[in-house]
Amino acid sequence: MTRTFRAMALSVAGVVIAASVAGCGAAPAVLGIHGPPKANPASVLLTVDQAKRILTRDFTAAQQGEMTIGPAAEAALRTAYTGDALRAAKARVKLTKVRPTLGNSPLLAPPRPLLLAVSRGFGFPRVLVTQTVAAKGSLPILHLLTSPDARTPYRISGSVTMLESSKVEPFDPLSQGSPLVTGGAGLAVNPTALLNAYAAGMAFPAKAVTRPPYAQDRISAHVRADAAVVAKAVATQAKFSQVHKVVPNSVYAVGQANGDALVFGVIERTDSFTVKKGQAVNTADNQEFVLLTGKKRVNRSASMTRLEFVVFSVPRSTGQATLIAASEQLVAGSGS
Amino acid sequence: MALLGVALAVVGAWTALTLGPSGEAHFSATSKATGAIVVEPDVLNSLNMPVRVTATRRDGGAVWLAASPSTDARAILARSAVSTVSGVHFPAGTLDLRASGAGALPDISTADVWRLSTEGVGSKNLVVDQGRGPEMVLVTSGDTTALTNVTMTLTWAHRSWFFEALTAVVIGAIVAAFALFDLSHSHRLARRIKAVRARRSGART
Repeated sequence: MTRTFRAMALSVAGVVIAASVAGCGAAPAVLGIHGPPKANPASVLLTVDQAKRILTRDFTAAQQGEMTIGPAAEAALRTAYTGDALRAAKARVKLTKVRPTLGNSPLLAPPRPLLLAVSRGFGFPRVLVTQTVAAKGSLPILHLLTSPDARTPYRISGSVTMLESSKVEPFDPLSQGSPLVTGGAGLAVNPTALLNAYAAGMAFPAKAVTRPPYAQDRISAHVRADAAVVAKAVATQAKFSQVHKVVPNSVYAVGQANGDALVFGVIERTDSFTVKKGQAVNTADNQEFVLLTGKKRVNRSASMTRLEFVVFSVPRSTGQATLIAASEQLVAGSGS
Repeated sequence: MALLGVALAVVGAWTALTLGPSGEAHFSATSKATGAIVVEPDVLNSLNMPVRVTATRRDGGAVWLAASPSTDARAILARSAVSTVSGVHFPAGTLDLRASGAGALPDISTADVWRLSTEGVGSKNLVVDQGRGPEMVLVTSGDTTALTNVTMTLTWAHRSWFFEALTAVVIGAIVAAFALFDLSHSHRLARRIKAVRARRSGART
């Protein structure tokens, strides 16, 4: 072996060993060890699979809660619903005793709800928007599921039947998520102000709403017309009034791909009857009222409370909001 | 040079034996503190490969493991008592555990923030894939009962690690063999030169 060859061989061996030692020293880089990825505040923390599992759980519980009775059914309702939706579901179940047709509630679960939107970002509350069709040919129902904080699971906080010919504009892809619009920034009208104006516009006796931020719709027109009919019917025995108030913290606005927003809200409607002096009103025919109050006759006053679930499509920047879904449920009554 | 080659071969052989043909690296520690156990994203998301998190209760009780975005997990944990897996040591195969917080954690298994979850009795593992980090793994009893005396094991598996270690063995062995051969050759050459010089000096006298 010549000196030159030996020197070259030793050099190669030296380089190999040096590289190996350096490789050991730089093990993290060699193995691909790195710091944790940075959190993206605009990411969607819920995967589509998670969202679908949640929908399956809640709608299955809703079905169980509304189709059966007893403590298990009540627990199922509490699993499925929250807030005013839970109040409405409990009342719906209770009222099936006098109105069996309500047992076929359009809110019962179809097997496969269509997930429309998942809220984006780290903040709470978080929402899911989904759509179901109870039976072939019936109108679709929009559902809002909410989770107020990290520890509380998603539950249905509103189920609202869509109006004929109405449609929901697309949301951003589920993988991107949809923003929850707070304060109404970028929208033609603040969602809470919209609901307040809409509620005020349905009052009886009627109160004028100047420059309403919503387009006229047949639902509110129907409510006002019905109120006038009732007031006329009971005029000899009682004075009738109807108040609509937005339920606090019930308004959620979910941004859509085109910049519009879908606004969910709950309005509490109270029908009040003040019985005139010397009059007594027989309420026996009103089975719902009797079931809720236990009274077949009132001498002084009576009231019935309904929850009105509404969904508006609110345009970006300018224009009027449009009612696209509405449902109501009698939830309480009182009489004396 | 021979020593360096031998050292490289020994380290490679030891690493290959430690990892095994499947290339699995295990790290363990036992938490004696009372409360939940969490694995931080610094550890969980430190490699672009799935990590298997195993929790083993000494008392054989119920165990529940779940992975969620770290922001949600921190919001859920708040200031509850937890032991945090904050580091790993190779080749020692140990984990750093750091106790913090106070107070029991309520039942959090019903929350919807968990991307992955599993439950069982005695010992259970959860394989967390990468790509949605930063995430944390949380280990509890699955109800409000506090955990204590739980052995946590984190396992990363990468077959190429085993073959890389074998490569180090081969390179080290070749370098060592070459260096030893060269050494013995030099010795023989030196002896010959010495013998020739001795003969020449003998002929002159």
